[in-house]
Amino acid sequence: MSAVNIWERMLNIDRRWIFLSIGVISIVPFLTKIGMPVSTTDEVESIFNYVDSLGKENAIFIGFDYDPGTQAENTPMGVAVMRHAFHNNVSVFLTAYTPLGHGMAGGALDYVTNPAVPGYYSRVDFSQWADLRDAGVTDKDELVAAWEAAGHELPEGSSGWVFEGRDFAYLGYAPLFYLVILGMTASIEAQYHQDANENPLSEMPMLREHKSLREVDLAVTVSGSSACTAWVIYGREKIGLPVAFGVTAVSATDYYPYIQSGQIIGQMGGLRGAAEYEVLLKEHGITETTDKAFTGMDVQSADHILIILFIIIGNIAYFMGGFHKQKSLKGRG
Amino acid sequence: MYETIGIWVGAFFTLAIYSFLYKENPVYRLAEHLVVGISLGYTMAITYDVVLKPRLIEPLIGGHAWILLIPAALGLLYITRFIPGIAWLSRYPIAFVMGTGMGVAFPLTMKSNVLRQLEAAMIPFYQSGMPWHVVVGNIVLVFGTLAALIYFFFSKPHKGPFFGTGSKIGIWIIMLGFGATFGFTVMGRISLLIGRIQYLLGDWLHLIE
Repeated sequence: MSAVNIWERMLNIDRRWIFLSIGVISIVPFLTKIGMPVSTTDEVESIFNYVDSLGKENAIFIGFDYDPGTQAENTPMGVAVMRHAFHNNVSVFLTAYTPLGHGMAGGALDYVTNPAVPGYYSRVDFSQWADLRDAGVTDKDELVAAWEAAGHELPEGSSGWVFEGRDFAYLGYAPLFYLVILGMTASIEAQYHQDANENPLSEMPMLREHKSLREVDLAVTVSGSSACTAWVIYGREKIGLPVAFGVTAVSATDYYPYIQSGQIIGQMGGLRGAAEYEVLLKEHGITETTDKAFTGMDVQSADHILIILFIIIGNIAYFMGGFHKQKSLKGRG
Repeated sequence: MYETIGIWVGAFFTLAIYSFLYKENPVYRLAEHLVVGISLGYTMAITYDVVLKPRLIEPLIGGHAWILLIPAALGLLYITRFIPGIAWLSRYPIAFVMGTGMGVAFPLTMKSNVLRQLEAAMIPFYQSGMPWHVVVGNIVLVFGTLAALIYFFFSKPHKGPFFGTGSKIGIWIIMLGFGATFGFTVMGRISLLIGRIQYLLGDWLHLIE
């Protein structure tokens, strides 16, 4: 076999071998748990620091503006920010730009409040604390004290109580969402009469304190498309609402100009961005462990090394075989 | 019980989709068609549940908000596209949405995506106390933007020291941008694979936490 044939065979390798090697390399780190460190970047730290500066008198929006196709990248971002907000008793509005995002928002909320997930928050549904609400107990500290005085004990392993209507409102999907953002600059309740669980917003304490986007402190849009720009165009530019992005890695480069221009306070780019936020949560003692995004970083690193190797080998074969002098590769027309 | 069934169904269809990597097969095609169908069905159900029912049907029936009949009638005109004789009526709701959309979007989009970006590109190269790496960054930003714009200026031949050299630098800047985007794209695709493997090894097989 001549040397040229070896290079040629390398360049025409059956792509299924590449898929198989990526598959194997993607599974092994999950089982060996190498735990490579993840350093944090300014773009993610700025979001973390901003949310960290908020307290029980503040409110944020988390827009689940993506479909299931990018769930693996986007959901950990929304989950991480939601946990941070709940830890600081910041009220959270959950919205969705698309019908499928409606389910993504609900799924993220269920995950954060799932007792099987470490560091979960114990959820109190809107109807469960109606008596306390009617009695005018809406301050978070007083609410927790009154709730526990009523005989409710925080379950072991739970990070705290979250009350529907005080700590979160699952607003969900609304059509023509850019117009909804615009409308919410005047009144949130005018755009959503009830939440996704059919609870009236007019009776929610968090709506009395945060009537419009002008009384909201941050919008974090977790997006798999250009939907995130709607929050900048209609929220930031209209009323100066601080906006942060959590975007897929594919679109991350498109939105760096918004950081440079100061239109957004920061950006989580892809699974890596979510992992950085998880690391910051752990470093600051907000969570005891990191979550799925951080776990995936070993695999990410291993796969990147493999792909770099493939690119190097492919280029060596291309030049050593003299294919750079030809107009097309043999066997490829 | 239902959760377990759901996880097994999810695992089956994940493997069905990935079977395409070996070669196209009927199981893959079944999964592909189901994705499209279920997504559409889910969208229709959610749209009815959180849009049509609370925002149109209930206010009409319970609140007698007759004014809503006007947008409802306008929306129904979309359906006339399926009737060739009166298909032209569907242009009215399209025109309405386009007109309002443009009117609402244009000023703020111009401000956000054009004027703000122009403003952000008009920066001083150096100010007292500015670190050297920021100075270098500012120079690269301004000249990189200008060079890329020169590359896309087609009314003059790309020759000579200004247009020739400028467009060459511009194409390098653009290629660097493409390279960064490609790197992020690889990272994104691998992230999606990671999500599925976490599902298979964790939720389905319980091999990882």
